[in-house]
Amino acid sequence: MDLSTTNFIGDLVREYSPYSWVASIVNGVIAIVAIMAVGVGPSPMLIWWERKVAAFTQARLGPMRVGPWGLLQTVCDVIKLLFKELITPHGADKLLFFLAPALPLTGSFLVLAVIPWDHNLQVANPGMGVPFIIAVSSLGILGTLLAGWSSNNKFSLLGALRCGAQMISYEVSLSLIMLFVVLMSGSADVREIVLSQQGNVTDWWIIKAPFLGIAAFVMYMISATAELNRGPFDMSEAEQELTAGFHTEYSSTAFAMFFLAEYINMVATSALASVFFLGGFLPFAFPDFGFAPIVGVVASINGALAILPGFFWMAGKILFLITLFMFFRWTYPRPRVDQLMSLEWKFLLPANLILLGLGAVFIAFGLILP
Amino acid sequence: MEMVKRPLPAGFQKVSGDDNTEEYFINMGPQHPATHGVLRLVLRLDGETVRECVPHLGYIHRGIEKQAESETYLQYVHLTDRMDYLTSHMNNHSVCMAIEKAVGIGVPDRAEYIRVMVLELNRISSHLMMFGCFGGDLGAQTALLYGFKEREVITDIFDELCGARLTMNYFRPGGVANDIPDTFIARVKKVIVDVERTLEEFDRLITGNVIIQERSRGIGILTREDAIAYGCTGCVLRASGVPYDLRKDDPYSIYDRLDFDVPTKQNGDSFDRYVIHIDEIRQSIRILQQCIEQIPEGPYRSKEKPSYRLPAGSYYAATETAKGIFGTYVVAEKGDKPWRIHSRSPNFANLSPIGKMVKGHMIADVVTVITTLDILIPDIDR
Amino acid sequence: MGLMHKLPPIVDPLPGGKTMIDAVSYIINWARSNSIWPLTYGTSCCAIEMMAAAAPRYDISRFGSEVFRASPRQCDLIILAGTITEKMAGPLKTLYDQMSGPKYVIAMGACTISGGPFYYDNYSVVKGADRILPVDVYIPGCPPRPEALFNGLLMLQEKIRKTESLRNTWHEHEIYTKPATNTWSDAAKAWDALEKIKDQEQAEARAKFKEENPDYQAFKAVRVVAPAFPEVPRKPDRPRGKSNLELWKLIQAKFPGLKLYKKELGDHEVSDTAAVEALGTDYTLDFEVPVDQYVALATFLKQTPDLSLEMLLDLTAVDFTDHFDVVVQLLSVTQGQKVFFRVSLPKKEVSPEEAPTAILASVPTLSGLWPAANWKEREVYDMFGIDFTGHPDMRRLFMEDDFVGYPLRKDFVNPNIIKRPY
Repeated sequence: MDLSTTNFIGDLVREYSPYSWVASIVNGVIAIVAIMAVGVGPSPMLIWWERKVAAFTQARLGPMRVGPWGLLQTVCDVIKLLFKELITPHGADKLLFFLAPALPLTGSFLVLAVIPWDHNLQVANPGMGVPFIIAVSSLGILGTLLAGWSSNNKFSLLGALRCGAQMISYEVSLSLIMLFVVLMSGSADVREIVLSQQGNVTDWWIIKAPFLGIAAFVMYMISATAELNRGPFDMSEAEQELTAGFHTEYSSTAFAMFFLAEYINMVATSALASVFFLGGFLPFAFPDFGFAPIVGVVASINGALAILPGFFWMAGKILFLITLFMFFRWTYPRPRVDQLMSLEWKFLLPANLILLGLGAVFIAFGLILP
Repeated sequence: MEMVKRPLPAGFQKVSGDDNTEEYFINMGPQHPATHGVLRLVLRLDGETVRECVPHLGYIHRGIEKQAESETYLQYVHLTDRMDYLTSHMNNHSVCMAIEKAVGIGVPDRAEYIRVMVLELNRISSHLMMFGCFGGDLGAQTALLYGFKEREVITDIFDELCGARLTMNYFRPGGVANDIPDTFIARVKKVIVDVERTLEEFDRLITGNVIIQERSRGIGILTREDAIAYGCTGCVLRASGVPYDLRKDDPYSIYDRLDFDVPTKQNGDSFDRYVIHIDEIRQSIRILQQCIEQIPEGPYRSKEKPSYRLPAGSYYAATETAKGIFGTYVVAEKGDKPWRIHSRSPNFANLSPIGKMVKGHMIADVVTVITTLDILIPDIDR
Repeated sequence: MGLMHKLPPIVDPLPGGKTMIDAVSYIINWARSNSIWPLTYGTSCCAIEMMAAAAPRYDISRFGSEVFRASPRQCDLIILAGTITEKMAGPLKTLYDQMSGPKYVIAMGACTISGGPFYYDNYSVVKGADRILPVDVYIPGCPPRPEALFNGLLMLQEKIRKTESLRNTWHEHEIYTKPATNTWSDAAKAWDALEKIKDQEQAEARAKFKEENPDYQAFKAVRVVAPAFPEVPRKPDRPRGKSNLELWKLIQAKFPGLKLYKKELGDHEVSDTAAVEALGTDYTLDFEVPVDQYVALATFLKQTPDLSLEMLLDLTAVDFTDHFDVVVQLLSVTQGQKVFFRVSLPKKEVSPEEAPTAILASVPTLSGLWPAANWKEREVYDMFGIDFTGHPDMRRLFMEDDFVGYPLRKDFVNPNIIKRPY
């Protein structure tokens, strides 16, 4: 889709400015600000939410003192972290040490750039959106590896190496699952993938591809947890084994960047899951199964639900998935690093290949739900 | 280029590794989230595989045995609280038994029943803590907090009983410090119900969990011969297939009047060491139920003495704590202070085979082994 | 630099006499005080109460402090939960140095305030954490309850709110560097003086009262009778396995020259066999063995199937000023009997100056027979300075390698020890 139709301010600038580069710059700035807002804005809320979810799981109350229900807790944390002493450990590679925290953020911002938030709300829509996502999401690995390497700490290095191995491995199955969705929808364009799920709930890929969809979704969630380095697959941090893993030596702002990147990554990954399986910005709609007595009622309910803007639906789906990730983290124990790798290479990868093959068969024989 | 030869860390034997890989050393501790205090392990690693492990002790060595030589026998009781603070009643009991044996003090029946109930409650609370730590050290933080949550109910009882939550100092030679409050029995009955529910919960949350099983089965195997040779006692010994329990085999107090079993497991791996704690709690509950039925009325201690002077000689008394055999060896000369007191701490012996147990496993397994050995460093260092 | 000096006076003042920097400082202090992340650090008992404070019943997360970080770089607070020993002092100082400022210290429990129960007659405990770290808040108790920890945390929050965080980077207190002296007995003397004044004042007040009210009759206090407890006869132990007499006969068959060890017997005036029977089940068989038969006897005890004393329960030593006794305690986990034996080691003749630091005796090792003896012998070496010949790894176990002297000897002196005044 052409950018000009989606950007009202861009149009305005283009109309009144004699030079086209002004429009490009204004557009660029707006895009960056928008991504920042979408990425960084909700992160403090998510951290608060995570602490509340953890407290709920563990029969506690969670932050209560700062603001109503402790809502301002993360604000405190962020201000405090910004004003803490920034330590460069002895023997650390200074350039890489401070470059590392920036990289994971960059990767997730680039992913956020191609996510469609609503019918007319998307920063960029490259025709090959899915390959682009696969390419840029690997940037995060680099950040972690650099952090571990440059810290001059054995625990950091071990954490980084674990993390590198784990993320590269799970990237494979994550990409294969994305390919599966591309195969189903017949397009590598992120926007087209969402639009291919128009209709009611049964048209979402999680249900539309019988059995395969739900299997693919479950495997996506497992791989994404590993890719996010979140518990139970937080090998790179593994507090009980490696104290704090790759960011053992990071303090203050640099640590805050890693902390933030984790949540922005989570937003990006959940957004992708919602795009691929849960119909993205499309509203929730009940199916009527062609059953005459309820057609009218269902249609009116669906009509009411559709009044809410697409952005709301997208955010709701993302929050649901993120909460799911949080429950994973606070429920399961951590597998050992070699067990995690064998889960990928001995189970998920073959399963994904079979899934891809079955998907092709389903397409060829028309077994997809109408 | 010639490699710089660095001296090996203390305690390592020179063994040349594989030519293709470079081995390195890593310090786990003294401050590390998974070493249960201030244990320091120096690991020789090849990748993530542990080639050799040398523990360093003494970071919490408080010289209790030296200090005891200038304190009276009764004052030593409160120092044992601070050795293994999760089983403080049992440590106190051991010292009191040694004094009773030396001076010839008997214990009234009611006092014995109170003692046994308190000891079993303490055993349950220590085991619950072990469950929590086991889950927590394997990455399930929630399990750690659940363990603590259930433990609080028992801590409440102790709080009401003697005013302390952790370091009780409740036992006296010839009985206990004060009678149980009226609410005690009712509370114990509630604890029994609560703990049974907790055990089911933990079975669902931890025991049946695939990840837990994968991580603990076959990890850190301690054979029957090794367990005996290293002097391991308690759950560690019984998980390796030796049914030795002082409560049965050298019955002190009134344990020979009570009906309970000594659970054993055969594999001696981390999973068995964990599961045996569940079985032990079930037995403790049985003991508690019998005690509730049988507890008589009467005095809660025998005639007290102004000071306890032990006749010259050496005396030994041991109890089966939640961790193993806690022995008190007293050498008395004249006076009301001991010439020498030595405490045989169960954790000391239980930790000693760790170098052998973790060899060839990975870093994450070191954590599993430490937590299933259920060690406590202040007890080791004393 | 010019701008940096000129700008603040222009920007800083706010209407109403306040300054901009105070407003910023207020916000930063508010953030810092509400987001205190502690370090996962605990040495002993207090650590359990610290963990209990994080557990559901008490829940430290209400104050925003449940984020226990394992890396010192990322935390603000170190809760000194548990005794600090001389050996741990170094690593603890390193930990504190590794923390990023502003950093705070809470001394939790009596041990970290003053040494607590380990203040007197102790050679290894640091008498107060403020000798190595600047402490912000002290929480008394042994161990303090979780509520007390919360109280300390709230006090720390209040303290942070009241500091000027922008003008001084962060305030570091002075560390108490004076050598450990018996401050308590000084305090006791001062207390005594105060008490005397108080007594005098009370006596005066009493006299005045009597003068003013000559007819006053005081109430008689009623004493609560202390409960009387009966004398209860002791029930002897009921050990399983072979009786002492059977064991003693088996051992004497192989080693006929051995003597029983029991001080009350008065140097074996009664025949040994009769003595063993008379001592009953409370007594654990305990006999002396000459050094040359030590290993042979140990091997015999372990490998004879009738005895099968396969577990080394303990190995320790006793310093009897003129000689050492190394006591070996054996247990049969299959049959149930226990046997103790000891070897008496005369002290070597050395000059009085060298005696406290010299190794005064040596005995063959048992670590080949029982791996358990490895650490136990290292402990005895560490505490008594008894050398075990043939031991594979004879190092100190608890103390640092450069520690002077052997603590459990009776002639041990150490500058850290504060003698109990009574």
